[in-house]
Order: sequence, then C-alpha cells, then structure tokens
Amino acid sequence: MNGKQRKTALSLAVAMGTALAASTAMAQTIDSKRIEANNPNDWLTYHGSYNSYHYSGLTQINAKNVKDLSVAWIHIPGHSTRGLQSMPLVADGILYYSGSYSRVFAIDGASGQVLWSYFPELDDALVARQTHSPYNRGVALGEGKVFVGTVDGRLIALDMKTGKPVWDTKLIDSQKLTIGFTGAPLYVNGEVVIGSQGGEWPVRGKIYAVDATTGKPRWDFNTIAPTEETKKTWGNDSWRVGGGGGWMPGGYDAETNTIWWGTSNGAPLYDWSGPDWMHTGARPGTNLYISSVLGLDAATGKLKFFHQENPHDVWDFDSAVGEFLMIDRGGQKYVVHPNKGGYIFVYDRSANVKNVWPISHNINYVKSIDPKTGELIGRRDMTAGKQAELLCPHISGGVSWNSGSYDPKTGLYYKIGNEWCMHLDIVKTTPVTEPQVQLNIGANFTIAPPPSGPIYGHLDARDPITGQTKWEVRFPEPPLASVLSTGGDLVFVPDTRGTVHAYDATTGKELWNHGDGTGHQGGIISYAAHGKQYVAVVAGFGGMASDDYAPTFGGVYKSMPRDDGALVVYSLSK
Amino acid sequence: MKFRNLCLAVVGGSLASALPAMAQPAPGTPAGQTSHLDVNQLFATTCGWCHSDGGRVAGKGPQLMNTKRSDDFIRYRIEHGKEGAMPAFGSTFNDADIDKIIHYIRALKPEQP
Repeated sequence: MNGKQRKTALSLAVAMGTALAASTAMAQTIDSKRIEANNPNDWLTYHGSYNSYHYSGLTQINAKNVKDLSVAWIHIPGHSTRGLQSMPLVADGILYYSGSYSRVFAIDGASGQVLWSYFPELDDALVARQTHSPYNRGVALGEGKVFVGTVDGRLIALDMKTGKPVWDTKLIDSQKLTIGFTGAPLYVNGEVVIGSQGGEWPVRGKIYAVDATTGKPRWDFNTIAPTEETKKTWGNDSWRVGGGGGWMPGGYDAETNTIWWGTSNGAPLYDWSGPDWMHTGARPGTNLYISSVLGLDAATGKLKFFHQENPHDVWDFDSAVGEFLMIDRGGQKYVVHPNKGGYIFVYDRSANVKNVWPISHNINYVKSIDPKTGELIGRRDMTAGKQAELLCPHISGGVSWNSGSYDPKTGLYYKIGNEWCMHLDIVKTTPVTEPQVQLNIGANFTIAPPPSGPIYGHLDARDPITGQTKWEVRFPEPPLASVLSTGGDLVFVPDTRGTVHAYDATTGKELWNHGDGTGHQGGIISYAAHGKQYVAVVAGFGGMASDDYAPTFGGVYKSMPRDDGALVVYSLSK
Repeated sequence: MKFRNLCLAVVGGSLASALPAMAQPAPGTPAGQTSHLDVNQLFATTCGWCHSDGGRVAGKGPQLMNTKRSDDFIRYRIEHGKEGAMPAFGSTFNDADIDKIIHYIRALKPEQP
C-alpha cells in the first residue's frame, strides 16, 4: 500500500466511521441532550448549537482542498418573494429548510432528492397588508417534528418523516395586529420557543413557548411592560403601543436552564423626545424591555435577569440579533451578544456587563459605551425636524440580524461590521391601531455614506472578549448573510453580489470563491451525509435591508431578482 | 413649503390634543365621508421606510415626486399593493384618503436646502 492508497484507505475508514455515527444517530430522537452533544454531522438548531457558534467541527473540506469545492446539488423552492433568508438544518443526513410563505422542504442531504414539502395555507389578505413579510428565517427540530412559524401568527409542527402537520397553534391575532412570525423557533426541553415581530409596530410583542408534543401554549413573556412596575418606564401609558417583540431565535444555557433572548426596538421607532427623554416625547422613560437581552427560565418563562443595551432606544439599534455565544475562558463563563448599533456586548451568565467593544467604525448615536457598566456615554437624543448631522450606523445596522461564527480552535469570532449612515427627518406621529395596526416609524430618511468615505462592509476576525482584531477583509457593499467557520480552518462568507468566499481562518487569505447567481442574505451551514461533508447556503435577495441595494449601489443589484432563490450545496469534487 | 408647514402644524395640533400613546381614529373612514388623513404624517408613520424623504427620492420603493404614473395606477397600487414590494392599503384607506395621498404625491417638490 503506497502513500496515496494509505490515505484513501484512511479516508474511507473515516468516512465509514462517520456513516456509522450517522446511522447510529438515526435511531435517536432529537432532544436537548442531542442538540447539546453537537455531533458535527448534524446542524440541529438555528445557531448550529445552543452555544451559538455557527461552527462545524467537520474537517473533510479544509484549507488545503477547498479549491476543489464545487456544486453537488441545487434546490429551487419557488415563489421566493423577497429571496431566501433561512438557515437550513440537518439531522441524520436529511436537510430541512424553509422559504418564503413558510414553505418547508425535507431533502436528502447527499442526493438533493426532495423527500417531502409542506406549503401552509396562509391568510393571503393579511400577508398582502404586511410590510415585514413573507420571508421566513428558519425552522426548529425536536421530538420527531419540524417546527415553523408563519407570518399570520401561527406555530406549526410537522412530522419529520412525512411533512404532515401534527399541530397548528394560533398565537397572535395577526389580522388585528398585522405582525406575525418570521424568525426560526428554538427547541428546548420539550417546548418550542418563538418570538413575535414588534419593533416599530404599535403592539406589545411577546415571546411564546409551546408544548412540543401537544402544541398547547405553555407560557409567554410580554416584552413590553409585563408588570405594573415596568409600566412606569413608559410615560403617558405609551406601553399600550410600545412595540418590542423578539423576532430572532436566541440561545440556551443548559447549566442554568436559561433561555437568552434579544428584544426589538420601541414604537415609534424614532422618538422626538430630545435629551429629556425620561419625561417628554412619545414614550417617556427607559421603556422596559425594548432593546434588551433577557434571561428567561426555560420552564416557566419567568424573567431571571436582563440588561437593556439601549435604554429608551430612539435609533432602532435593538438587541433582536439572536447570537448569544457561550464561551468559557480562563475560568470565566461569558456570553457574547452583538447589538444592531454596532457594539458587541460581553456578559457573564447573568447578563452582568464584562466588556463592550465596537465592531463598526462609524457610530455616532453615542460617543461610547462604558465597557465596565454598559452605560451609554454621550447619547444622541434628537428632537423633531431635519437632523443636521448624519445618524450612524444606518437603520439596517452596524450589525445585521444574520450571525457571525466563533471557531473554538482559533479562538476568533468572525463577524460582519457595516459602515453606512442616514439622513434623518424626525416627524411627530400618532400610532394607528384601527382598523388594523400600521407601522409607526416617526421619520423620513435616506441612506448615506459615512463622513469618512464610501459605504462598505467588513469581515473581522476578532477576539470575542477583548475585541482585538486579528485580520479584516473588506467588501464594497455590506454583506448581509451569516458566516460559517469550520474545523477545516475555513471561514465562509456569502456576499450580497452572489459570491460565496472561503478564507483561511488564521490569516484571512481568500482560498476559494464561487458564484451562486444571486445575492445572499440568509444562512450557511456544513453537515455530513454518508460520510461526505457538504456546505449548504441559501441564495436569494430582497427584503428590508437588501431592497436598498439597487437604488444605492446600482450595478449588479439593478437586475437582481427579489422574488427568486435557491439552496446551493457544495462538496469536494475530487 | 407652505403645504409642508401646514401639515406639520396639523401634526403638532393633533398631538397636543391627544395623549402620545392614544390610538388615533382610523385613517380609513366609510366611503363617501371626508378624509381626516394627514398625509405628511402618514409618510413618516408608515410609507417613508420605502419611499424615502417623504417620497422625494427612490429608496426600497420608487421615487414618487414627478411620477409619470396615472392617478388610476397609483390608486390601484395603494389599494392592492404589490407582492413582496408594497402592502395593500385597500382596507385601511377610503377613496377620500387615497385622493389626499395622490394630491400629496402630485404636490411633492424638492426640499429647500
């Protein structure tokens, strides 16, 4: 047996071992223990694991052979209004993912053969009235079921094997409130947790937990003034139309049985209160619990602790970003959470602030944030009228809602930062709640480059605790999709022009790229099926952030469809 | 500018007479009745995320100022929306409301520096 033969034999042995592991796992149900075990062959939950790393430990595709990565198969879901924004999941070699209108597909992860599909019947008249719709950002897996939320306010469980509905639970009066669910659910210990839209909608957005077996609601947490005490943080009874909600899936700390969830901004989105925001404006006070990270008891939904990252948020720099990286270092247990304002908050496991560092370079809604306390220093509270100075970052965020990735081997956090600003004219508004709830923005605005130069985005390799930069790669337009790092010393970034890039995780050197034909703004994962590693990414443009690209950047975006998309799956060709 | 100032004055007046958190009366009233809609405020409340700068420049949605579209087209688009691009407001606004919105769009001028 020569060297090449030995290598092939070894590869086969590894492959067989992996296949064996996969077949063993096939018999296992998906519960929280299996999700915690984090078998790299699978991708069982939105953030890859409860620790939110968006990292695959698979090594078959690596820095040495990534040049041989090519398309293995493609799936076209159809009717991809506003593109594809979801995070695929994989269990036992079968890939599950959702598209617009909460359409769900189960696909053989090796062959690309569709095993089943499910198209829910939605309230079309309601969907036609919605603004943040009809995209869907992912599903959850647990106890033999696939869970998906809908924009008309339902949470649905499907049989994993057949795609047949098991239960269908209405949670939100969407016909009246206009909001629904676009984010992925989170499965934890026999329950399915999902957060509603809210934000600039004059509603009271909630986080819901539903029994995974029966579909019966277990608990909900009102993110807007759930107690008499917290109502005092909303002057003039403004809590009645406060907004909030938590539209991205959070994380889970199994040691303390705590769900970490980020909440959205308040309504109106831009308050005209000025510096005396505790006493004047549309919603005087700190406005609990908008723009906060919450620690909820997983069994009861009771609030255990919280930190309001932006008290009285008047910039839409909310905390709804769902990443909660659970990192142990030097005997300390940290939780790292990005905020849309472009700051990364580092907490202990009870949301006490341990550090705060900026990933965006153009921030002027505050002068800084105290890294010891999280207090906003020199905050910019505006009054009604045209603002003479640009507001930075742009409303789409210094950090967008998609996720970065943490590689435990390099100890680096790979995260996108965005550099863009906006002209803003703040206008006093009154919430509209009849006959149906309408958006309450409180301003007219236009996107603008930062004072220092053109708009751009950057992939940073940072120490997640200190924020120290190891390397940076710049993009001419802010990337909007999630990032993936792997045990093969690779970092994958799908960009908005439609190219997937692979970088050396240690140096940032680009090693491979491939065009998917349309822009990316959703998930990317890696998994194994029958002993072979795959990288799966959704492509398909359109939505609240990406709809600005054609008028702002022109070029390829002018002809880029906003009603199309594909799931593209890569593997090694040799 | 006079129109804009008038609108802002109306906005201020409506706020002065209502608690900030109180929901305003429905913007859509039964057909045949007059409209109480303040369109300038409406853009800052709902429309402005897509129709930037009050409709003066293109954003996620098209520029409305100097649009070549007919009144009938604009009316239809407001009532029925466009899948994936614009919500339908047919159950929210009555004919008189939409008349006012079209009037606002036709009167749009570049803002003074």
